Amino acid sequence: MAENRGGSGQSLHLKPEWEMDPAEYTLRKRLPRKLPKRRNDIYINMKTNFRTQLTRCQKLLDSGQFTDICIHGLGLAVHRAINIALQLQANSFGELQISANTSTVELVDDLEPEVDHAERITQIRSNSAIHIRVFHAASKA
Amino acid sequence: MSGAKGRKYEKKMKYQPTSVTFHTGDPGGSSSKNYNGAGAQQQERKYGGVQPQRDQPWTPSSGFKPYQEQSDYRDGQTSQGFPKYITATTFAQARAAEVKAMLKAVSNKNSNSQVFQALPKHMRRRAMSSNVKRIPRRLRAIAKRELEKASQQKKEQSKNKSRKARRRHGNLLLEFNRRQRKNLWLETHIWHAKRFHMVKKWGYCLGDKPTSKCYRACYRAMTKHCLLQDLSYYCCLELTGGENELLKALARLTNRETGLTFAAVGCLSGKRQGSLVIYKADKYPLEPLGPVTFLWKPKKMSEERQLWIWFHPALKQDLIPQLKTVCQCGEPVVQSIPLPEPSTVVSTVEEMPEPVSVGCKRKRKEGTPLEEITAKKFIRERTSPPLIPACWKSQTTGIVLRDLTLEILRYRLIGPLSHSVLSDALYPASLWKIFHSQDEKHCSWWPEYCNEDNLFLHERQQNLFQLLRGIASPAEISAGTVLGLVVDDPRLTLPRKRTKSMPDLSVLPDFEKVQQLTVEGITDEASPSPIWDQAVRDCVTRSKISEQELNRMKMEILVPGSRLDLGAKESKIPILLIHQSGKLTGQECLGWGSGWDILIPKGWGMAFWISLIYRGARAGGLQEGLKHSQHKGTAHFPNDFPDCAAGVRFSGEQEKELLDKYKRRPPSKRPNYIKHGSVAPFLCPWQQLVEEWEMILKTEDERGVSEEHRGALPAPESSGEEKSKGVKVKCADEEMKTSPGAADFSILRNRTVLKQVSAWCLPTSGKGKRANRSARFSRQQIPSGAALSISAPNPRCLVWTRLSLLKKGSPTSHALICIPDPGDIQMLCADLTFCGPQEPKHKDHFKKKIKELKKKKLAASPGASCKVQGIGSSELPSKLISGLWPEPLPSITSHCTRVTIGFVLRGDFSLTAGCGEALGLVSLAGLLHMLSQQASDRKGLVLVRNPASLQYRFARIMVEV
Repeated sequence: MAENRGGSGQSLHLKPEWEMDPAEYTLRKRLPRKLPKRRNDIYINMKTNFRTQLTRCQKLLDSGQFTDICIHGLGLAVHRAINIALQLQANSFGELQISANTSTVELVDDLEPEVDHAERITQIRSNSAIHIRVFHAASKA
Repeated sequence: MSGAKGRKYEKKMKYQPTSVTFHTGDPGGSSSKNYNGAGAQQQERKYGGVQPQRDQPWTPSSGFKPYQEQSDYRDGQTSQGFPKYITATTFAQARAAEVKAMLKAVSNKNSNSQVFQALPKHMRRRAMSSNVKRIPRRLRAIAKRELEKASQQKKEQSKNKSRKARRRHGNLLLEFNRRQRKNLWLETHIWHAKRFHMVKKWGYCLGDKPTSKCYRACYRAMTKHCLLQDLSYYCCLELTGGENELLKALARLTNRETGLTFAAVGCLSGKRQGSLVIYKADKYPLEPLGPVTFLWKPKKMSEERQLWIWFHPALKQDLIPQLKTVCQCGEPVVQSIPLPEPSTVVSTVEEMPEPVSVGCKRKRKEGTPLEEITAKKFIRERTSPPLIPACWKSQTTGIVLRDLTLEILRYRLIGPLSHSVLSDALYPASLWKIFHSQDEKHCSWWPEYCNEDNLFLHERQQNLFQLLRGIASPAEISAGTVLGLVVDDPRLTLPRKRTKSMPDLSVLPDFEKVQQLTVEGITDEASPSPIWDQAVRDCVTRSKISEQELNRMKMEILVPGSRLDLGAKESKIPILLIHQSGKLTGQECLGWGSGWDILIPKGWGMAFWISLIYRGARAGGLQEGLKHSQHKGTAHFPNDFPDCAAGVRFSGEQEKELLDKYKRRPPSKRPNYIKHGSVAPFLCPWQQLVEEWEMILKTEDERGVSEEHRGALPAPESSGEEKSKGVKVKCADEEMKTSPGAADFSILRNRTVLKQVSAWCLPTSGKGKRANRSARFSRQQIPSGAALSISAPNPRCLVWTRLSLLKKGSPTSHALICIPDPGDIQMLCADLTFCGPQEPKHKDHFKKKIKELKKKKLAASPGASCKVQGIGSSELPSKLISGLWPEPLPSITSHCTRVTIGFVLRGDFSLTAGCGEALGLVSLAGLLHMLSQQASDRKGLVLVRNPASLQYRFARIMVEV
């Protein structure tokens, strides 16, 4: 706790051994940073039905407006994003190709104080993300 | 003939002579008889009373002689139906009687309808009501008379002034002043009144909801764009004094158990806005007053601190006396004593419109726009409150308490794009350049303010404000941060048309800086604003250039549409931006509904409002605010605070309103709540609920104890030993508790207890729930000792819960929350499409009583009616309304087949969650009782039933902290 009190009262990167005292703080996770979105960006989540998300991607590809689409998955949704991309590729009879990039997303957690003397703490946590580009094989050339 | 039909027939036949109708039913008559008898009469009846003259020749004596001889004459009728002879005298007599009856029927007009209304359909014409010439000539005389009569009546009602006179500026102002004597208007009143359904509440005229159909549009605005609300009716109290004295005084109103208090470090520095629930002095946990938000003025060198407390106007009458006692404030102070500056300001402002008629005349000639008038009016009205004191000073503690209601306006922007709306609408003030000596007249505060320190601060704030543009949603900033700012006149940068501001994707902000902003939040150096200074506020209010003058200057500009440069005359407005956190609790839609509050000095309301509206913000009223809090899952004052005085008043009003609405419908067209088993469909009997649950637990405990004494098996849910211990604790507690205020209940706000209860509500074997999140609060089977230890000190506690329905259905307010039977849960497990059990129909015993009473009244009405009434009233203490339980309510918990633990406060289909959601209050004892009996994987399942339905529906109960 000592390192949190010093200075402005906000320590950005906490040591791993530091453990929050639930009597003093409540953990509140903020949403990941929202970035501008194109029409052919698809963010995968775990709440929507898998099949629905798959058909959404398929429709975008079939519409002919875009030569490629980007499928993004964060954290728990990474494997689902991979699944969707692979399914798309398997269903296309070799017409579609995929290329994946991984990245790290910084997430922000708020530690809200429960007692008067405690300062509010914000900490940054990293999570892995995947961005899969699905495109028509012909268009790559 | 059925009842309604019979009545209709009776009404039709009211003016028909009986002898005529009798004839139609003559058994001996043949069908041909109708030609002269009944048939003719029926035709007459259709024509009503309009054509007596023409009907005369139809009488049988002249027109239909051959037939008459055949039929109607009884004297000479043979078995074949042909009369052998007719006696002329009797025949004529009979006909004469008929004719007389017919004439009578025809001349009697059977309602207050106008002449043309009585015409048959094929004779009606367009515009008959206004044009006499469209009516058949023989009726014209009558119609003319009627028309004249009507026009005379109308003339008497007309106003004594012409419209032109009434709309003249001075008269209009007088009229506006008269109209807001009782209920004050906000500065945006006229704008709202044109677009909203207005309601008179809490001493203000407020926009309830837009007249256009925009339920979904407003929701979309909250989720995707920006919804704007005028919250200027919120009251603001200013407390000035030493920090220690203030904290000491205010500590009596709050308690550390409910979370942060006024002394929280983050708030005390002025960096953040705090919110809490205030209790009556030293009365915690009983007698809460209501929620407030507060804001400390950022610390400077001086000892004196300034604190603003913002609260709902319904709370005002309770809170101000409490604050006065706590701060030991004595009698009200005349405004000139505490601060010398404001008094002079006040006097000048007061004098401005009144003394000489010159100013008035000029205004009248030029015709100032409406907004301007209202703004002017407000300045005058609020600075000279008629008799209500607005300032109190304490001699002992040195605390000054001041009422700043309507001195500072507050607008709320909700939605992810409130950033871009704000950054489009507001431009940080341009710096002071040395001008010529014009500024003496204009008393601008800006040149004096622009010294070294403040310029540095201003630049910093400006940079921060521009950085905000790069953040996509307000949910990404830490909650409650405050940003002070000085901005230019928003009217100068108004777009020509209403636009929809969108984030600019082409200009990518500095990623590093944005990242720093989101993590660190706005630092406390950026929160000071000159708006805290009353002198500055007044100066800003006074130095506003009128709309009309501004428009004139705009007109004179050389390049049309270019920005007007006012030079030294341009006002700089200090504002304060306060971040409002979105949805914090729960699992879904985190950060939904976050936004910004903007505080503006008075007088500038319309300027800012229009400029925000022109950036595409959608305006919402009270209802939208209610929906916002509902989707956010937070309680809304005063609707959801039945333990506060204001909440009690609100629910009383609501009950009256609902009851009136209910009584307006006939009994056959409204739900019979007795049959539905809904004891209290309009007012939730919280007191009775908590008392009953207290009794239930007590009897259960006693049973457990006695069983243990007999050596029987302990009750399945808990071991007897712990129970008896609990009982002892509880009894002792009760003796202590019940003595001071026996008829009291409160809502549980102790955060540690709430967290524990919340952890218990979750199903243990859910997916994706990490254990470490609530490691301290075990989510295993509730140890009964622990449950008792929580419920024992709070025997009469209610808990706020959020319910989300598993399947279809949308709960309404006053719906019952019940404990499901084990059988119900088994059914749910077996059949996934199982909606829920049904309540068997109840029997209405009061229906008979009401009927008897009615009969008695009817029977006694001609004679001694008053006597019977007296008896009736003595028999039944309260008035019986069919379909509602009379006053001594039966047991609430055991009235239905499922045991009731609470009621829904507000419920609706939630567009965020995609299912029915409700905010309800349940008895803590009942909730713990239910949880202790439920299986671990089906924990937190309850049944919800609307008051006008028999269908129970499954819902998941959540306690969110």
